[in-house]
Amino acid sequence: MRVIVADDAMLTREGIVRLLGDAGIEVAGQAEDADGLLRLVAAERPDAVVVDIRMPPTYTGEGLAAAQRIQADHPDVGVLVLSQYVESGYAMRLIQDRPEGVGYLLKERVFDAAILVDGLRRIDDGECVIDPTIVARLIGRRRDKDPLADLTSREREVLSLVAEGLSNTAIANRLFVVERTVEAHTTQIFRKLGLDADPGSHRRVLAVLAFLRSSA
Amino acid sequence: MAGHSFSQIPEWHNVLVAAPVPAHRPRRLVRCSGFGVALGFTVATVVVIRFTAPWATTYSGSWLPAAVADLAAGLGLMLAGLLLLLEWPGRAAGLIATLAGAVWLAPDWTGWQDGPPLARTIAMVAAPLFLPLVLNLLLAFPGGSPHSALARLAVRGVYAATGIVSVAWALFRDPRLDPHCWNNCTDNSFLLSAQPAIERGLETAGILLVLGLGTGIFAVSAGRLARGTRTARHRLAPVLLPGLLVGGSAAAQAIALLRTPLEGPQFAVFSALFQARAWSVWALAVGLAWTVVGARLTRSAVGRVASDLGDAPAPGALGAVLAKVTNDPGVEVAYWLPESGRFVDGSGRTVREAAPGRGKVVTRIVRKGQLVAIVRHDAAAADADRLERAIGSAARLAVDNERLQAGILAQLEDLRASRTRIVEAGDAERRRLERNLHDGAQQRMLALSYDVRLARGAAAAAGDPELEAILTSAVEQAQETASQLRALAHGIYPAILTEAGLGLALESLAESAPLPVVVRGTPDERFPEPVERAAYLVAAGSIDAGLDAGTGKISIRVGRAGAHLVVEADGAGTGPFTDLADRVGAIGGSLAADRVRLRAEIPCA
Repeated sequence: MRVIVADDAMLTREGIVRLLGDAGIEVAGQAEDADGLLRLVAAERPDAVVVDIRMPPTYTGEGLAAAQRIQADHPDVGVLVLSQYVESGYAMRLIQDRPEGVGYLLKERVFDAAILVDGLRRIDDGECVIDPTIVARLIGRRRDKDPLADLTSREREVLSLVAEGLSNTAIANRLFVVERTVEAHTTQIFRKLGLDADPGSHRRVLAVLAFLRSSA
Repeated sequence: MAGHSFSQIPEWHNVLVAAPVPAHRPRRLVRCSGFGVALGFTVATVVVIRFTAPWATTYSGSWLPAAVADLAAGLGLMLAGLLLLLEWPGRAAGLIATLAGAVWLAPDWTGWQDGPPLARTIAMVAAPLFLPLVLNLLLAFPGGSPHSALARLAVRGVYAATGIVSVAWALFRDPRLDPHCWNNCTDNSFLLSAQPAIERGLETAGILLVLGLGTGIFAVSAGRLARGTRTARHRLAPVLLPGLLVGGSAAAQAIALLRTPLEGPQFAVFSALFQARAWSVWALAVGLAWTVVGARLTRSAVGRVASDLGDAPAPGALGAVLAKVTNDPGVEVAYWLPESGRFVDGSGRTVREAAPGRGKVVTRIVRKGQLVAIVRHDAAAADADRLERAIGSAARLAVDNERLQAGILAQLEDLRASRTRIVEAGDAERRRLERNLHDGAQQRMLALSYDVRLARGAAAAAGDPELEAILTSAVEQAQETASQLRALAHGIYPAILTEAGLGLALESLAESAPLPVVVRGTPDERFPEPVERAAYLVAAGSIDAGLDAGTGKISIRVGRAGAHLVVEADGAGTGPFTDLADRVGAIGGSLAADRVRLRAEIPCA
């Protein structure tokens, strides 16, 4: 897998590059701002990019905007956005058009090699990656009439993993169960929550996140 | 304040010095005696007309409508003059008008058949002075003396010429030899020597004088109407329009006399001309009286508004009163604040010092040698009496009130601006801190966790489980510290608010709240940063307060209402919300709370 890394902080950028190198992932280029990233992507056609949400010149939404550009212009390039903001709104913005091959991870996890590399591999497989902290906050949100109260604890666990973007196979592996069990759980969850999305499709992550964000 | 040298203050410098109020008793005496004399004289004239009735020696004696017109003109002018005298005791205009009214009735006495010869003669000599008196009045009104030296000279010349011609005519006219005599063919107490040739010449000179005076009165009225500003026209038209008629009818009379020197009520032309002249004079009298009534109405309006101002003055109310009084809607009042060395308007906003120009003049209001305010108004409204009435007596208190209020408002405005600056400076500092945390501590913590992870990997490779366990703990500590730093940075300044606006920021606030929070109706549009920040803090503050009050849940609604962004929070408890009120107040908004609802209105346009 060939990857481009974009981050304006040199320490972080080089750390990521080394970590990816150690994991056997080729780093095809490094950028320190959004324009540089877009140029490199056009020239190198990587499999995926790792991009910091906050980049020069204004340090506001440049990284997110660049990620959305890449999604639109190069649908075959995976995008992993690193952010220091636990904001489901940003994650939702990123995945709402195309929840395949895209991810939003908290930056503080970036040096946990397992998480970073696993995330990139899932994105390369066309999956969606949502940071567990964001999902945990959405699941744990205080609600007046909590629709999640009807779920068993196992179902909640499965719901969290669905919201993180995991496929049924990945969930089965994570929970040490067979895929059929996971399918049964997801069908049951979607029925209880009244979600009419296909519980087996890639896009189910959108439906679940939208549901979790809207219910209060 | 260096530019305000009081030695250069124009004649208006004492506008605010109270006008001397005449003692009450003499005023009443003047009123009674003046009106008594005028009425007595009119009654006497009626009696004279009555006695004259069978002879065609006066217009009023020959026909009742002529008598009505004649008396309406004479009595009207005298009464109007007396009213003027009462309203403006210091001016000659009232006296001139009263005299003109009396002189207007003189021909009735001249034609008093079988009356005392001396009375008839005096009336005959006095009658021609009517037109000079009217010319003087119209040139000088509302004052008693014309402004320009040339006009003053002209008025004196006209009085002298008329007087000389009139007296000379009496000296050389033997009425029994006068072929054109009609109203007095018997008596002349002043006859020195009968000189028919001189008499004829003086008669023509007299007619030419009437022609000149009539034309002059017409021209003066027309000129003042044409040249005056809008305000001046508005004020003087009731007097100047009848002036046109008086002048025109006098000139027409002179032309008729030049064509047929023998006049009298039996000739239709002269009879009609008399009606025209008399009703013109009556209209002039009404016009003069109207200006007095107008001034009275204005004064009572000023008094009324002044008392209103005294109770609860609305900002800028004095400007409105002055606009009304001076008929100048563009009048501007600026108060001088010596403490801060600047001018402010009625609502306390700082204004530039008014400068004269484009038909506008500037009047300085000075009390006890101190500049109080400046008034910029239409040049035609610069009538000392009017301004003095407006600002001088009843409204003086109002000026002080409004100036004090303007001063307080100005201080409030300063305070508000300073509050806003303090809040904005605080916010800027918070944003800077948040950035510093992100660019400094958070990045360092990332680097640290990376190095510790490397060390842990090395320890694992070296087969040192003890060291590996320690470093694993260190990694976890670093991870925890990174998360706390992230939360701290968010607490100092929520970056999502500036980056994505109120909608996403409030959603995020609700997601992480320790109790159920529903946010509804947040507009998608972006507002100025201080507005969004204040609205965000009101929402956040209501969540904290609701948690303290144990209300169970919070419902927040954000919406735009006109020029305000309104934030309502149900379930926030009863406060007190001092911090939030300060925050909202700092940008000109307001905060109110009752048992169920906290409501903030933040100006956003």
